[in-house]
Amino acid sequence: MLSLYLERFKRNRLAAAGLAIIVLLTLGAALAPALCPQDPTAQNLTQRLQGPSAQHWMGTDDLGRDVFSRLLTGTRVSLSVGFVAVGIALGVGTCLGLLAGFFGGRTDTFIMRWVDIMLSIPTLFLILAVLAFLGPNIYNVMIIIGLTSWPGLTRMVRGECLSVREREYVHAARLSGVSTPRLLFVHILPNVIAPILVSATLGVGGAILTESALSFLGLGVQPPMPSWGNILTIGKDYLHIAWWLSVFPACAILITVLAFNLLGEGLRDVLDPRT
Amino acid sequence: MKTDTETRRHGDTEITSPRLRVSASLLALLISFKSFAAGTPEYGDVYVDASIGDASMLNPVLSSDSASNDINGQVFNGLVKYDKNIKLVGELAGSWDVSANGLVLTFHLRKNVRWHDGKPFTAEDVLFTYQKLRDPQVHTPFGSDFELVKSVAAIDPWTVRVVYAKPFAPGLASWGMGMIPKHIFKDGDFNTHPANRAPIGTGPYRFKEWKTAQYIVLEPNPDYYEGPPYLARYIYRIIPDQSVQFLEMRNQGIDSLGLSPDQFKAYDAIFEHHQRFRYPSFQYVYFGFNLRNPLFKDIRVRRALAFAIDRQTLVQGLLLGLGQPITGPYPLSSWAYNSQIPQIPYSPQKALALLMDAGWRPDAEGLLTKDGTPFSFTIMTNQGNKVRELAAQVIQQQLHHIGMDVKIRIVEWSSFIHQFVDKKNFEAVVLGWSTGRDPDNYLMWHSSQQKEGQYNFVSYSNPEVDRLLERGRQTFGEKKRQAIYWKIHAQIAADLPYIFLYCPDSLVAVHKRFRGPEVAPLGMGWNFPQWYVPRDQQLYPVRTP
Repeated sequence: MLSLYLERFKRNRLAAAGLAIIVLLTLGAALAPALCPQDPTAQNLTQRLQGPSAQHWMGTDDLGRDVFSRLLTGTRVSLSVGFVAVGIALGVGTCLGLLAGFFGGRTDTFIMRWVDIMLSIPTLFLILAVLAFLGPNIYNVMIIIGLTSWPGLTRMVRGECLSVREREYVHAARLSGVSTPRLLFVHILPNVIAPILVSATLGVGGAILTESALSFLGLGVQPPMPSWGNILTIGKDYLHIAWWLSVFPACAILITVLAFNLLGEGLRDVLDPRT
Repeated sequence: MKTDTETRRHGDTEITSPRLRVSASLLALLISFKSFAAGTPEYGDVYVDASIGDASMLNPVLSSDSASNDINGQVFNGLVKYDKNIKLVGELAGSWDVSANGLVLTFHLRKNVRWHDGKPFTAEDVLFTYQKLRDPQVHTPFGSDFELVKSVAAIDPWTVRVVYAKPFAPGLASWGMGMIPKHIFKDGDFNTHPANRAPIGTGPYRFKEWKTAQYIVLEPNPDYYEGPPYLARYIYRIIPDQSVQFLEMRNQGIDSLGLSPDQFKAYDAIFEHHQRFRYPSFQYVYFGFNLRNPLFKDIRVRRALAFAIDRQTLVQGLLLGLGQPITGPYPLSSWAYNSQIPQIPYSPQKALALLMDAGWRPDAEGLLTKDGTPFSFTIMTNQGNKVRELAAQVIQQQLHHIGMDVKIRIVEWSSFIHQFVDKKNFEAVVLGWSTGRDPDNYLMWHSSQQKEGQYNFVSYSNPEVDRLLERGRQTFGEKKRQAIYWKIHAQIAADLPYIFLYCPDSLVAVHKRFRGPEVAPLGMGWNFPQWYVPRDQQLYPVRTP
């Protein structure tokens, strides 16, 4: 089975490219302190707004800091926000989805109406309001993005669970006296995991985008700590004078989100038994 | 042109019309300037100005923000105004007499002035304006300018006599305050009067339309006592982002805007349609401490901070040399500025020595601590002023070098002033002052001015400075006053309630089709009603009615 998936994955070039980019980025983020050619927070006012050169590969910002070093350090922020937020969403979303789908009745109604309520609130505005209240910092950003991105997942897991719970092997397990938690996590969960994986992968890209948007608005990662979003904010003010301040972080966001989307789409194709 | 006699904080809304970007120095520099001597003025066309912030109230008695001031300056007139060389000349008062002891001012009003609704302007209106300035129910920030006035009386419809209780040197200039119409304001609540959003004045332009947070439109006053202005419309667009303003400028969407040093130095092709002006401003930027905070009570600590901040780098790196470092509480181009005071040099070693002397020791990680508490504080500044935000970050880094843990908090302008500065709810700030032409800075430094909302929010108190400030405002004659203000400068520079950072140059772009923009000691825009556009270069088909 696994080898079949691997075989299919290898044939999907785009997904493989996505995965390669993600592996590279993760390595870059992990080794950022060692890889940075310069201290990402060291200012040098005599070197402000310098274009890309051998010394500064992606130029310098308005305080003379090295943009490449800042981007690389920002990768850590973006990836960790992406993974942690999606981790939270996965935990909450999967559990609620399984409960709703398995028990049905009032539990189902209650959880699904809650999902409807969450889906009817514009997420970005909810996040902005909560952050304005709690104060902007990277941990709050991770938690809040996680706690606002589970409803879609819940709905999907519930749907899958509804169909899986009627399968014969589930009836068999139940008749043989398997406990409910075991039934849920050992017999049902592995059979709904494929769509969860796909949705999680796509979710990481979404979370990175949200974090960038928040930092761009000044409510995410606080300076002098770099993040892709807050480098872009600076770039906006110098669009005419220093294109490199906008182009490089924008490309970083674009490539990363694209990589996660490609991987997600690829996983969907690979894991779908109908293909 | 309104006489800019008031002192005000300048924040995100400081970059506005060139009319109020008044400055005073014969050193005024011109980057590019086309003479407007040639050709006869022609009517028509539109002048589009841009502002970061919206006006708050179009009533000169009530508002002190620079956006409101820009509009009020076109719609209202004072009794006197500064001419291009910063000499007081008559505006609504054709002339005036001063008694020998300086206590009595008699204004002779012009007889041909009408309000925008056609009613004549008389001494009753002056009296009414004064009463509102002194009325405790009226929310005016300018009451203290008139505290020493004993009485104001209308001798006849065109003569006003003002008697002062004590000599008050800035007294005459304070009558540059815009005059408001009695017949409009006599009924209803003054603070919330509908005319505060649809003003009636005597100025060269009259009010036409105000769309909140979008634009304000003025049209020429055909009855203006000096004759109607040439431009057929004055449009004041509210664009809350400096980089968007810059984009608009390139597309000829706005005719005039303030520039950041980086924008000013951008490549020439960007300024295809606009000319750039540079001149010394009447502003300065400082790093101020809350002196009630135990951290900053010790003068050795404040001196150490002064040694630890490299002002020269700030000016060269952030202002790109378009400004000067300063040592005391006056803009460089003021005659009150004492150039004898030496600049505190950048020396982290001296800073550390002073801090050790005051009992601070670096811990294992190099962080300064004393009795177990680390040297840690937050610098606050306002949003929207790019250079100031960067300055805060540079200061943060420089103080980090000597072992201080500094955080930065950037807050939107009005909540910054009302929630934090006025309530003394801050540790340190990076802020600026736009000062009047008169050096009297009693409001900022006198120990009596520490109540909530008053300007001595750092809680500075020195009996010697108090005495000098009182003497300064009661003494007439520039030479005599200069000696007093130089002493004040020296004393404040020694006490360091602020670390004085720099005096930035005013940087302005104005569309090239306008004839008339000229930098004088007062700055730019002093002759705005005379600006015009030759017919063949007019961009908008609007004609004066």
